[in-house]
Amino acid sequence: MRLLSLLLSLILFGSLAARADTGEHVVLTGGPALRFMEHGKDASHDFYWFNFVDASTIWLKQIKSTAPAGDLVTWLVYRPSYISRSNEMGMDLVSQIAGKAKELGVTLYWFDTKEQLINYLNKGQDRDKIKITSFDYFGHSNKACFLFDYSNTIDTMSIAFLHVVDLKHIKAHDFARDAVCKSWGCHSGELYSKWWKDEFDVAMIGAIGKTDFSHGGLPALSDANCRWSQ
Amino acid sequence: MPARLLSLLFLGTAALLLGAGGARAQMAADTSITAPPVAPPLKTNSPLYHLTYDPKLDIPQVGYREGDTSGAVFFIAHRAIDTDGGQGFGWLRKSSDDRDDGTWFALQEHPGLAVAPFRKLKTRDGDADWEYKFWGHYATYKAYDPHLDELLPVFVLQGYEVIGQTAPLRQPIGPPGRPHSRPSGASSRSSNPIQGGGGID
Repeated sequence: MRLLSLLLSLILFGSLAARADTGEHVVLTGGPALRFMEHGKDASHDFYWFNFVDASTIWLKQIKSTAPAGDLVTWLVYRPSYISRSNEMGMDLVSQIAGKAKELGVTLYWFDTKEQLINYLNKGQDRDKIKITSFDYFGHSNKACFLFDYSNTIDTMSIAFLHVVDLKHIKAHDFARDAVCKSWGCHSGELYSKWWKDEFDVAMIGAIGKTDFSHGGLPALSDANCRWSQ
Repeated sequence: MPARLLSLLFLGTAALLLGAGGARAQMAADTSITAPPVAPPLKTNSPLYHLTYDPKLDIPQVGYREGDTSGAVFFIAHRAIDTDGGQGFGWLRKSSDDRDDGTWFALQEHPGLAVAPFRKLKTRDGDADWEYKFWGHYATYKAYDPHLDELLPVFVLQGYEVIGQTAPLRQPIGPPGRPHSRPSGASSRSSNPIQGGGGID
C-alpha cells in the first residue's frame, strides 16, 4: 500500500511539475481573398471578409474561458491581406481586428511574412519556460500548405504560406509534449498533420476533405464524406 | 491509506494528465453559428465595380492598351491555359528572345492600373494563344500554386498592349521539371494526392 501511495504521489508530482510553467495558446489566422480576384468564379471564396477572423474570435473566447489562470493567449494574424481587403472595401479591417483582440483580452501580433511567424513561434517567448500548449489555424489551406495569402495578391495563388517543407524551421522545443493542435482549414488531415507529427512529435487534428467557413461561425466539415483526422 | 483518499489522488492525477484535451472536447462542441453581415455597396469606379458592370468582349481588341506602357523595354507574354489545372498565366520572354524561350509565370495584377487582359473577356480562357506586350518587372518573391504544389516566378504588371492571336507554342505547359500527364493535386478544392515535388523549395 505504501508503495502504491508513493507511486501515485510521484505521478501527481510529475504532472504538477509538467504543468508548472506558463502555457501559451496560439491562434493563427490567415487572410481573405480579394473579391476582385474571386469575382465570377464558380467556387468563389471569401464573400465575407471576416470569415477567418470570426471563427478565430469565437475560439479565442472559448480558450479564454477554459485556459488555466496565468496562461498566455496569443493571436497571430497575417496583416497584408486585411490591408488590401480594407482598401478594396473602403473599411478599416485592421483596426477592427485590433479592437476585437482588445475586447477579448488577448495579445495580438501581426505578421507580414512567414519568417516573422516562425520567429515568433521560436523566439517570441522563452520557450524553456513558456511552451505552446494549444495551436489552432484558421485560414486557407491545401493538404501541403497553410495559405496566409490566397487570391489576394495573385489570382488563385499565394505569396505567403507555410508549406510542410517549412515546418523544419519551427522547433519542436516550442511545443508542450501534450500540446493540442488543430488546423481548421481544408485538407490538412490528408498530409499536413502527418508532417506536423513527424516534425514536432505532437499530433495535429486536420480535415480530410473541405471545411466551410462561409456561415460566419466556427468552420464545419463541408459534407458527410469529410472527417477530422490526426 | 483510506480507499477514498486513493481514489481522489487517482482522479486528480487523471484530470491533470488529460489536461487541455478534456476542456478541448467541451469547447469543440460549440459551433456558435452566426449569420455573416452583408457587404457594403461597391464603390463606384472601383476596379471591382468595373469588373462587375463593364460589358465583356469575346476576344481581346488588337492594339488596346492599359496602364503604363511608356517604357522602351517590354516583355512578350503568350497566354496559355494550363490543362493540369494550374493557374499560371502563360509564357513570358524578353522581346529579343526566341519565341520558344519563354518562362512559365504567374501574373500579379495591379487593380486600378493594369489587370489581366482576360478580365475584359466573357471567359477567362478566351485569350488562349494571344500575345501581349507587357510592361512591368519580375518580383523578388515567387507564387505558390496550390492546385499543383508549384512555385512560379511572378511578373508585376504595370501595363500591356494587345498584339494579336498566334500559333500555340511548342513548349510543354508549366514550370521546368513538372511531371507531365499527372492529375491535379494538392488543391484546397481537390482531394487528390500530391503527385510530385516540382517547384517546392
